[in-house]
Amino acid sequence: MTDTFSLASRFGTQGLGGCYAPETLMQPLLDLEAAFRSALADPAFQAELKGELRHFVGRPTPLTPAPRLAAKLGLRALFLKREDLTHTGAHKINNALAQAILARRMGKTEIIAETGAGQHGVATAAACARLGLDCTVYMGVTDMARQAPNVARMRLFGTKVVPVEAGQGTLKEAVNEALRAWAGRCDKAHYILGSALGPHPFPTLVRSFQTVIGEEARAQALEQSGALPEVVLACAGGGSNGLGLLVPFLGDAVRRVAVEAGGHGQALGEHAARLDGGRMGVLHGCKTLLLQDDDGHTAETASISAGLDYPALGPELAALALDGQVEVRRASDEEALMGARLLCEAEGILPALESSHALALLPGLATEGAATVLLGLSGRGDKDLSTYQSRLGI
Amino acid sequence: MSLNPLLPFLMAGDPSLGALPGLLAEAKALGLQALELGLPHSDPIADGPVLQAAAQRAIDRGATPLRVLEALAGVTDCPDLILFTYLNPLLQIGAGRLKALLAPTPVKALLVVDLPFGEEPVFEADLRTAGYPMVPLLAPTTSLARARQILSERPDPGTVSPFAQRFAYVVARLGVTGTGQAMDLEPVSTRIHPLRTLTDRPLAVGFGLSDPHSLARVRSLGATPVIGSALVSELAAGQSLQEALSPRMVGDA
Repeated sequence: MTDTFSLASRFGTQGLGGCYAPETLMQPLLDLEAAFRSALADPAFQAELKGELRHFVGRPTPLTPAPRLAAKLGLRALFLKREDLTHTGAHKINNALAQAILARRMGKTEIIAETGAGQHGVATAAACARLGLDCTVYMGVTDMARQAPNVARMRLFGTKVVPVEAGQGTLKEAVNEALRAWAGRCDKAHYILGSALGPHPFPTLVRSFQTVIGEEARAQALEQSGALPEVVLACAGGGSNGLGLLVPFLGDAVRRVAVEAGGHGQALGEHAARLDGGRMGVLHGCKTLLLQDDDGHTAETASISAGLDYPALGPELAALALDGQVEVRRASDEEALMGARLLCEAEGILPALESSHALALLPGLATEGAATVLLGLSGRGDKDLSTYQSRLGI
Repeated sequence: MSLNPLLPFLMAGDPSLGALPGLLAEAKALGLQALELGLPHSDPIADGPVLQAAAQRAIDRGATPLRVLEALAGVTDCPDLILFTYLNPLLQIGAGRLKALLAPTPVKALLVVDLPFGEEPVFEADLRTAGYPMVPLLAPTTSLARARQILSERPDPGTVSPFAQRFAYVVARLGVTGTGQAMDLEPVSTRIHPLRTLTDRPLAVGFGLSDPHSLARVRSLGATPVIGSALVSELAAGQSLQEALSPRMVGDA
């Protein structure tokens, strides 16, 4: 039995991350790290994951040039990394599938997951159906209402979706409930966390299964245009998509930009912009920038996007931001809607509301003088049609 | 030393902070040596529905961490308190200010649910030196080797110190706080003996205990039973502390 962690559990000069878990979960987390290390070193695991990413997920995803949108904005070139074209429609499947294979290696028969926008829930449900694992997904009631198609998809895949009534009924409450459920069933179940957050080793695990996005994108950019873009841009909720795209560009002379949800105002409770609005704190097992009140209670958040309203920035992304490796910007609900409209009209691609926050930054980047941009299109917008219909009046 | 027969849990601010000193005096009058007092938190990831709801009621009535500590200042007619809390509110207060706030209260130890040893070593050492040790928790998933490590990282201050500062908390079952169906105490019984080979400090056993028979069974193992969710429910339903606790303080079946 493993009794100490081997991998670094802290990020950056301020030591974010860590493992602030209840004692019941400590041994399961130690065991998970050991299983993760052994899987990474095992060619059979790597081969199975690679095969499934290719034949089930549809990787590599294309890097699509977007010349009409680029011209409209005054950019010389714009490339879209098309995670929206993965099976289940968002980047979440990369991590969900990898962790499901890992869970099966560990002899676990049940999977627990949380979901916000439902994309991680759908991805986990699909991976579990594919691998024959029982799956239970915890989802806030507010998110269940605004992402109803994803609830139906999870149920079709045989997953039990458990509504979480507490608080605002969004991702934070779903994570609370998933952690509680895991503490009760950690002998049989693996918890597939979907964002680069939570106690060690989850942030590292999730990031390492998502960097396939940036590794592919970087190679594709070089192959297709002979050069790296000036700016690499991704939206960031917990940080799985942001890190997945940006980390492989850390050694390059490019601007790395993550976009948070600016919501509908500047006051606490009206947005999910953790870099400016957050203070160092501990939530769900890690230390990071957290939207909180003076009492250390987690603050409410607001975003049109269910995938970006988490009150904490993932610890590794927060550390990269604080250490000057990643710029963190924000886009409001209205700006995100405009970003979606731009892409739809110029390129015939319907982005998820999360990805629309990255799109919303493009006009500003063009004004700042950026000429070439690579944007992570984290997911497709079918799940958001009803929001687009009502907010854009179509 | 005789066995401490019961370690009850109350949520600060439920039903109200005004009622807290009276409840604590009542607990003292019942002969309780120590009591766990919950600091209501917005995201209690280790708590079941009863304590989640109690925390929310308390927060809604304004029981912030600072107000709870202010309400405890100067209280002496009271068992030794173990402050049961999550880490973030304490981190936001900061070790220096926290020590000053705790000084005039009957708090003797801290049970920080989401703080394993080694994650905040400076903060933890600072508080321990000031007289506020962290309670070691031993879960069903905790190996004996890890238990040894936990007990040495959070050492027994010795027999001159009160129960509140000495005991180790044995989590009886997987999961979160709260009462379930009649609980099988066999698994925890078989864990107590090997733990006894590691330490002679007092042990408390909690999570899922409520009926007098289970509590008596824990006492028969030489450990102090913890009663939390069941007590919080009964107080919320209008029972007095004495009505809820008296039948539970006796017997070692």
